[in-house]
Amino acid sequence: MPDVISQNLPFLMRGLATTLRIAGLTAAGGTLLGLAVGIAIHLRVAVLAASLRLYIEFVRGTPLLVMLFICYFAFPALLGYRTTAEQATILGFILFIGAYIAEDVRSGLRSIKPGLVQAALATGLTHWQALGLIVIPLALRRIIPTLFNQYVRLLKFTSVASVIGVQEFTGSAMLVNARVFAPVTILAFIALTYLVLCLLLSSIGRVLHARLAV
Amino acid sequence: MSYEFDWAPIWEARALILAGLATTVMLSAASLVLASIIGVIVGTAASSHRLAFRVGAGVTVEVTRNVPLLIHMYVWYVALAFLRLPPFWCGVLGLSVYSGAYVAEIVRGGIASVPDGQGKAALATGLTPFQTFFVVIYPQAFRIVAPSLANVFSQLIKDSSLASAIAVMELTYVAGAVEGQSFRTFEIYITVCGLYLLLVTIVTLALRFFSGAREQAPAMELASA
Amino acid sequence: MREPIIVLKEVSKAYGATPVLRRCSTAVAAGEVVVVCGPSGSGKSTLIKCINGLEPFQSGSITVEGVEVGAKGTDLPRLRMRIGMVFQHFELYPHMTALENVMLAQVHALRRSRSEARERGRELLDRVGLAEKADAMPANLSGGQQQRVAIARALALDPRAMLFDEPTSALDPATISEVLDVLVELAREGMTMMVVTHEMGFARRVADRVIFMDQGEIVEDSRKEAFFSNPASERAKLFLSKILFH
Repeated sequence: MPDVISQNLPFLMRGLATTLRIAGLTAAGGTLLGLAVGIAIHLRVAVLAASLRLYIEFVRGTPLLVMLFICYFAFPALLGYRTTAEQATILGFILFIGAYIAEDVRSGLRSIKPGLVQAALATGLTHWQALGLIVIPLALRRIIPTLFNQYVRLLKFTSVASVIGVQEFTGSAMLVNARVFAPVTILAFIALTYLVLCLLLSSIGRVLHARLAV
Repeated sequence: MSYEFDWAPIWEARALILAGLATTVMLSAASLVLASIIGVIVGTAASSHRLAFRVGAGVTVEVTRNVPLLIHMYVWYVALAFLRLPPFWCGVLGLSVYSGAYVAEIVRGGIASVPDGQGKAALATGLTPFQTFFVVIYPQAFRIVAPSLANVFSQLIKDSSLASAIAVMELTYVAGAVEGQSFRTFEIYITVCGLYLLLVTIVTLALRFFSGAREQAPAMELASA
Repeated sequence: MREPIIVLKEVSKAYGATPVLRRCSTAVAAGEVVVVCGPSGSGKSTLIKCINGLEPFQSGSITVEGVEVGAKGTDLPRLRMRIGMVFQHFELYPHMTALENVMLAQVHALRRSRSEARERGRELLDRVGLAEKADAMPANLSGGQQQRVAIARALALDPRAMLFDEPTSALDPATISEVLDVLVELAREGMTMMVVTHEMGFARRVADRVIFMDQGEIVEDSRKEAFFSNPASERAKLFLSKILFH
């Protein structure tokens, strides 16, 4: 390992930890949000469904960085609260990826044959039980590949948080670079790390898909 | 909620915002062209009969798209600073290489969806391999993958906002500047979102138009190829 | 006559302006086996799906053991537990093993303990001849095996009656008999059954009564012997001649 890296490794690893924390939290939060929104739209919950569609369309038309600025500057100004760069990042990423996951969830839900729900109802399960025991678990299994695509995107997104001053992996690396100036080594190191992490994440998705696909 | 809306400062900064929009359009357009060229070359290599080409293209695509776009931009802007490329072109190169990997995947899929016999038939009529691709295979593949291409291209336009991080004075960068002067935070970002949405819509409609128009006028392809 | 379990009175249903059921009336007594037949699109499947409230209907009434199916306050899940249903395309839950399929409603609708449900599930899988397939996924079972699992799933709730919606028409000819054998055995044990089917051999063997439907109407509702030897209507005669001698 080159000296620039090994000498700054603890600092870089702290950055990586922040990256993984943000990615983990936002993956969990985004999945929950996406599930809730996708299900609400699928069930055609009157006014709610229409406003949720609007949310999805808005997010899908907005660059991630602009979304971050909105959560870091615009929302606090509009609603009068204080936030840190990391909190804003987490909120922004959850709102952002949640819209994409909601679309995936919706298409997963649409792929379930109505006959399956009828069969569940015919055995005395309620509509909610059919949804919770059959429809949602099945839909989730079907969208595992796209879900993991979104997680990989999230992992790559985290680097953007450095633009608003979050000291995650990329931010830390650029700080090290500003001090020691070894851009080729440092960028190669972080690029390689992202590459390995992303490939790891997608292979987890592939294994899960192979195990759980129906 | 005590926020009072005031759109006047946005209107006053219109020249600046339009300049940013123009930069975003040029940045996106240049990247779109370059990404398409990269995508067609790599995607065609990935469909090759030669194993070495396939493996090479596959590795290129995986490595490229699993590294964050921001790193791609830093590579040109920071690591290769000795090339002294202007920030704009660093942005274009970063964006093109990154998006090119996505285009390559789509091109590979498109070529795979054209029946094998089509290429063989074209070669049998005496077309060169080059002509076969441009006259027979790409046009058919294009029609199939147009919707996916539209997705990648609209993603590219939105991703171009990251060029603000390497000091390209595009729309997002300008938004930050206007925000800093006027503190009309919400107004400026809503405006910027609207402008991105406009660009994305235009590209999506354009691609839909071209992929549809080609179906009605196949003769045009021959003439232009 | 024994006490009727299922009673239909003047049941009518339409999709928009298209009528699918026209004033259908009949009753099924405890222990009776009724075969419902008729050309495709005659409303047979819709009729039996109305009985457990899977399909709404616009007028008339259906009662199951005295409980009104179409009434507002009816606890449909509870009613459906008492009438098992088997579908044309099996509709097994693809993400669960055969045993889990049979256990699910026992645990979540009937509120049996998991161990009790598992025991009952194994017992029923054994009864339909699939004891060794308990841990198989539906995708790894043949059509006939899937349908037998579906029958076990319905029986697991100890229903008072069973509805079968063309249980063999999506099957390979080779596996039809393994499903019909299960049905015959059920009938012999005295299960109350309504079976929509084109299997006239099965009807001859086990049915007590045959209902013939055409264009949403119950055209004939007669004892098996009468139906096969001397159908009253021209439409039934035509149908029988097509289905028996093609």
